[in-house]
Amino acid sequence: MGAEQAWLLAAIPAAIFLVLALVGRYLPRQGDWLAVLAIGASFVLFFVVLVDFLTTGDGLGPFTRAIEWTQIGEFELTMGIFVDPITIVMMGVITTVSLMVTVFSIGYMKGEPRYFWYFAVLQGFAASMLLLVLADNLLLVYVAWELVGVSSFLLIGFYWERRSATEAAKKAFITTRIGDVGLLIGIILLWREAGTFSIQEIIAFAQAGGYGDTYLLIASIAVFLGAIGKSAQIPFHVWLPDAMEGPTPVSALIHAATMVVAGVYLVARLLPMFEVVDGMLLIITIVGLATALMTGIIAIAQTDIKKVLAYSTVGQLGFMFIALGAGYPDVAMFHLMTHAFFKALLFLGSGSVILATHHNQEMDKLGGLWRKMPITGTTFLIGSLALAGLPPLAGFWSKDEIWVVTDGAWGGWATVLFGIAAFLTAFYTARLFIRTFMGKPQDEHVFEHTHESPSVMTLPLIFLAILSVVSGLVVFNEVGTALGFPGGITEFVFLAEPHVYSIDWTFAGASLAVAAIGIFTGAWFYWRGRLDRSTAVASWQPALYDMARNKFYWDDMYQAGIDRGLLGFSYIVSWFDRYVVNDTGVDGTAQTTGYAGFILKHIQTGKVPNYAMAITLGIIVLALAGLAVRG
Amino acid sequence: MVPVENYLALSGILFAIGVYGVLARRNAILVLMSIELMLNAVALNFVAFAVFMDPEQITGAVVAVFVITVAAAEVGLALAIVIRYFRMRATSNIDEAAALKW
Amino acid sequence: MAVEVLWWLFAILIVGTALGVVVSRSVIHAAIFLLVALAGIAGMYVFLTVEFLALVQLLIYGGAVAVLVLLALMLTRQATGGERISLNGPQAPFAAIAAIGLAAILVASAVVTTWPRLVDDPDAVPLGRISEVLFEDFGATFILVSILLLVAVVGAIILARQEDAE
Repeated sequence: MGAEQAWLLAAIPAAIFLVLALVGRYLPRQGDWLAVLAIGASFVLFFVVLVDFLTTGDGLGPFTRAIEWTQIGEFELTMGIFVDPITIVMMGVITTVSLMVTVFSIGYMKGEPRYFWYFAVLQGFAASMLLLVLADNLLLVYVAWELVGVSSFLLIGFYWERRSATEAAKKAFITTRIGDVGLLIGIILLWREAGTFSIQEIIAFAQAGGYGDTYLLIASIAVFLGAIGKSAQIPFHVWLPDAMEGPTPVSALIHAATMVVAGVYLVARLLPMFEVVDGMLLIITIVGLATALMTGIIAIAQTDIKKVLAYSTVGQLGFMFIALGAGYPDVAMFHLMTHAFFKALLFLGSGSVILATHHNQEMDKLGGLWRKMPITGTTFLIGSLALAGLPPLAGFWSKDEIWVVTDGAWGGWATVLFGIAAFLTAFYTARLFIRTFMGKPQDEHVFEHTHESPSVMTLPLIFLAILSVVSGLVVFNEVGTALGFPGGITEFVFLAEPHVYSIDWTFAGASLAVAAIGIFTGAWFYWRGRLDRSTAVASWQPALYDMARNKFYWDDMYQAGIDRGLLGFSYIVSWFDRYVVNDTGVDGTAQTTGYAGFILKHIQTGKVPNYAMAITLGIIVLALAGLAVRG
Repeated sequence: MVPVENYLALSGILFAIGVYGVLARRNAILVLMSIELMLNAVALNFVAFAVFMDPEQITGAVVAVFVITVAAAEVGLALAIVIRYFRMRATSNIDEAAALKW
Repeated sequence: MAVEVLWWLFAILIVGTALGVVVSRSVIHAAIFLLVALAGIAGMYVFLTVEFLALVQLLIYGGAVAVLVLLALMLTRQATGGERISLNGPQAPFAAIAAIGLAAILVASAVVTTWPRLVDDPDAVPLGRISEVLFEDFGATFILVSILLLVAVVGAIILARQEDAE
């Protein structure tokens, strides 16, 4: 048992998915214990794989194992797993968060219809996601990529009785699909020249200059489209906030911690290839920065706590892309990990709030909940501070790292913009926490019925809160060494060469200052439930406020684009179809044939002598023709 | 010995007369009789060709035997059909059997 | 020379009676013309020195088929009796044109073509070989034709049978 059995991590949840989907309804407790056991087994197996990976072989070389799948002509298609530090980090995040979310869901989903189906799809998602990070070739990546998309679709639309849920599910699926088409095109383009789907071979091929410059740029952008579709970056970010229609634990697992980072993972995996292309890293950085800034502004004006968290997630994913754009997958993976923990914590915390207040997620009706829900409140505070970036919580270290590498890669403008985005993060986080948990209750009725959640929900919160506190510390060399790693996380996850972490005091100070100022500003605006200062700002610049509140009109833009462009074009096409293709082409030929038949049917007299006459005349004509030919 | 062309011409004329009968007559039995003329023309053609051009000289005669046999079978069946039809419609005019159309 | 004169007489007889078959206004006359025409063809087989075939022709056509035709004619006698309806259909003129054209084509190609003469002495057809060829070279065909005949006979009986229901 070791790294070569890593595929079991994905296989166990996949098997349980089948069991639950088929017979889950008839199992005691509808099989939720089976789901917990399966993901728990994966969680334990992860540590087995980790230990094996750290202790065997020549240090930390990637481990790969493949079987021949099929052979088409000269082309051999192999399917296999590839385990390297990036995979290890991803697997750790996925199994941990999945386990926490599954346990939490037992409490959150209690009494819901289709309880077994929920857990089945949750397992299916975990299996697909693990397959995605384990895959050694792009074809398998694509398969898993679509599988997580389907799982996401099913879970967003879990409450399919609600129209908004089905709409959101469709929106998520279609929006990500647009990116996925890019990914598929990119994969095909990469395969066409290299003749292999293997990620490592494609990277080597690209680095050896096998692709032409323009060709590789197009292929890279196509792949990147898939990545930003899944990771909800501009311009594909619109689906993620709507995806909050799903059950809140699902939002925590899929739309905050794991699935949406698939794009980050893919870019990190293929970063050596992107680095070959001139300007690709700049594109990644610009997309990440634009997303982070814009979603930061939008998040300020949202009142639905899940929507705030959703935009925050999009922004944090933008941070990861900024790190990737700077050429530091290690930093991106670091932030991915810490973000997964504290964002899952925040989402589960919000789930706890939503359940306790009987599905109320509007900030305008919440407030003062800390007294009623001490555990949820405290853990939520930890998560918020981690998101805001206060030391020594996890978010501080990873965000600080991104800032440092941004400065190293692009210089002034990126640094400043990133600072603004970090400030916005701290600001809306403070607003979210203060308006939900502090101050006076806005709605007494809601407040009175609120109660602390059961321990099956608070325990995962506590566990994730602990991780949110300590997981940032793995950046330190000493911590990494103590845990058996070769050093801090930047010395474990790397592509070219490890770099030893050292605190850059300038940036650490600036980071702390930005977070503190952001939190303070947020507190100044919203402390003790007051809204007059923020209202004043809103009425001072109503256009700006409306813009943020309406999410920069992205949805309206798309809607208008669809209405004017797509529907207009469809109208033309349908006109063409109706009058040209159908009336002229289909009905026209049919009618011509029918009319000709109507006329010509009179030839058919039904009298045998007439037919015999026709035969005779035919023979005479043939005979004459034969004589003429013969001369 | 009469040359082969004579036989062929005779056979051709006979065949054409048969064709005229098939096309012109409306009584089913007369049509059948015309068909017999055509079949005989063909058989005569075979035999003439065989006698003048086949080294064995006999294959044509064998084919003619087959033609006569098949013709006999055909006449038997066709007349049975005609009688049946006559019983049904009280006529043996083939141009009244015109149900096979639109 | 005498043979050729006789041949021409026979040819004229055949053509004349055949025309009688197709233009006669009486079905009975037509049947009798057919009988003579078929006998004339039997004569042609004698000219071709295939006497066996002439015998078969007389037996089957002159005997069996002609009798069958006459029988059928009697069975389908029009009930109207005296009233004479035309035996020719409306397309008879066109049929005449087509038939003349066909005859012209056939006679022309028969006369114009230079036929190869492979047999030196057409007067001596080895009739004794007919059974050998029939049963050896065409054995399978012979059996098939026998089965065909059987089926035709059974089918004719079934078709012509007076059913109780009718």
